[in-house]
Amino acid sequence: MSKSPDYFNSGVPTGQEAWAKLELSSQEYRKNASRYRLRYLTRASGFLAPYMILWLAFLAIPVGWAIFLSFNDGGVLDPRYWVGFDNWARTFDDSELTQVVINTSLFVVLAITIVFGLAIFLASLINNHRRGENFFKVTLYFPLLAPPILGAMIWHFMLHFDFGIVNLITRGLFGWEGVNFLGKNPTALFAIIAVEIWRGLGFWVLFYLAGLQSVPGELLEAAKLDGARGLRRFIRISVPVLRPLFLFALVIAIIMNFQLFDSVKILTDGGPRMGTATIVWFIYRRMFAFQDTGLAFSASVGLLIGTMLLTLLCFWLLGRGRKRES
Amino acid sequence: MFLAFRPWKKEGKLNYMDAVRPKESLKSSPSYARGKSRYIFANRFRALFAYLVLLFFVAFAVGPVLYLISPALRDSISLFDYPPKIIPDEPTLDNFRFLFDSTRYLSWALNTIIYAAGTTIISLFTNVLAGYAFARLQFPGRNLLFFLVLSTLMVPVAAVLAPTYLMVREIGELPIIGRPFFGLDTYLGLILPCTVSPLGVFMMRQFISTLPVGLYEAARLDGASEWRILFKIVLPLIKPALVVLGIFVFMITWANFLWPLVAASGDDYRVLTVGIASLKGQFVTHWGVLAAASLMTLIPVTIVFLFFQKWFVQASMAGALKQ
Repeated sequence: MSKSPDYFNSGVPTGQEAWAKLELSSQEYRKNASRYRLRYLTRASGFLAPYMILWLAFLAIPVGWAIFLSFNDGGVLDPRYWVGFDNWARTFDDSELTQVVINTSLFVVLAITIVFGLAIFLASLINNHRRGENFFKVTLYFPLLAPPILGAMIWHFMLHFDFGIVNLITRGLFGWEGVNFLGKNPTALFAIIAVEIWRGLGFWVLFYLAGLQSVPGELLEAAKLDGARGLRRFIRISVPVLRPLFLFALVIAIIMNFQLFDSVKILTDGGPRMGTATIVWFIYRRMFAFQDTGLAFSASVGLLIGTMLLTLLCFWLLGRGRKRES
Repeated sequence: MFLAFRPWKKEGKLNYMDAVRPKESLKSSPSYARGKSRYIFANRFRALFAYLVLLFFVAFAVGPVLYLISPALRDSISLFDYPPKIIPDEPTLDNFRFLFDSTRYLSWALNTIIYAAGTTIISLFTNVLAGYAFARLQFPGRNLLFFLVLSTLMVPVAAVLAPTYLMVREIGELPIIGRPFFGLDTYLGLILPCTVSPLGVFMMRQFISTLPVGLYEAARLDGASEWRILFKIVLPLIKPALVVLGIFVFMITWANFLWPLVAASGDDYRVLTVGIASLKGQFVTHWGVLAAASLMTLIPVTIVFLFFQKWFVQASMAGALKQ
């Protein structure tokens, strides 16, 4: 420990004396403080300006503008005019929109359940059998390289009625006449879910694998010595450790999956009788095909609010889980 | 693969299993041998099952892409032949030739590179500056500003698609900063709205604030300005983080379909995703050309991926785990 300097006997004024010696009136002091504040602000603004300008122009203002325009009609080709809550009344009344929200929610729930279930299962398999870990990681990750629209194209080749490999196999082996996956209603949604599972599986496997490998080994060994086996060890030790990770993954997955658009646009374009129409597809159509901007904006804001609420719900659950642990 | 799994053969190392290891005298009994062979069998069986399942999913992941090779190498009409043939009788490269001669595939690819690289460079630049400001600079209103930026992290991109489109169009009409520099169907109009995700700022702030404070204080005492500190001290230290964030942004951007579809529908600024989607016609589709285009697009990415797989995996994890 170094000795602290002896301020009181060093000749440097301290306490009341120091204030008295400081030849600044309170006004001068305030002026200097504000000058310093300004100097700090200008120094920081050089760093902040490039990002903040872009952020304002393309994120903050658009959010506000979307909310404002949801109370207006027109505004894209023709001048906008105020219609009050008219759009919102239509939003809650529109049967097409109801269908679209149901489709999207169904997709989100099914896709997330299947992908997360498979991913946790595969991750624990890889975690328990370390041989070839890297090979499996790389190959399972591979589909993520394809953009969603390429994924949709690739799966169109898989599921095509005439030359899709799935139909070829069922025809060749069982003599069935084949399923027109994209032309019928429940199967079209399943096809879209298949594409999203194909693209997302590798990512979530890696995600949960990283989580599983962060489970402390001592805990697992202690449980092993205490006689806990396989599934029980997984549920009692790994699941609590993965819990915050899982809830966080849920948040990301919800935000990403509610924005489903690309594969729908490529594979079915809304599907047989709106069977695969999603929220973003609806917004896109209203905005750029029908010029019905009022409904497009209120649906956008609805999507924004819905996603935010779901996110907050997940974070609330996350917070509650943490509180219980402590 | 699993033949070498012989945990009882481990010698020299003392591990926790020694506590329950049977005595030498017991090892000669027949029941011990039976138990051991059961143990071996159960483990091998479990491993076999695990690897079969994993290989099935590997086939699920890679198979669809491999299946593209067949339609890419034959003409679209023979796809509908009955009985179907997977292996083409006379493979042709006509589909690839069509792609280069009759469509603007190369210009789409070039646009994609400009779009993705531009977005990556600009967002790295702005994110590092803003991240540094939020991590190390003192200024009034810092926490409030950071909270505001962070609160837009959860905004779905698709929800602000329409107003961003209007914003770009309106700015494009302005006198000096508008066309031909900015607006719909310009490179900047395509790029800039994709650079605003707060995730990068957040990541950079986290990385920079984990660096030891002493570095800054030493540099500041030596009279270095903030810019000098950033470029001479901070940037070399966060290089790995920059690479990770860069790959992450690049991967997300080049895969983007919705924004280029809306903002750059003109033929000169079309990117790969929009271009390939336009190959799939409303009524007639050249399936062979489509397969060829998909393969052509995937092959370079796959090659890059195989060389830098570790970085790719880290990058996609960083987006998720660094929160």
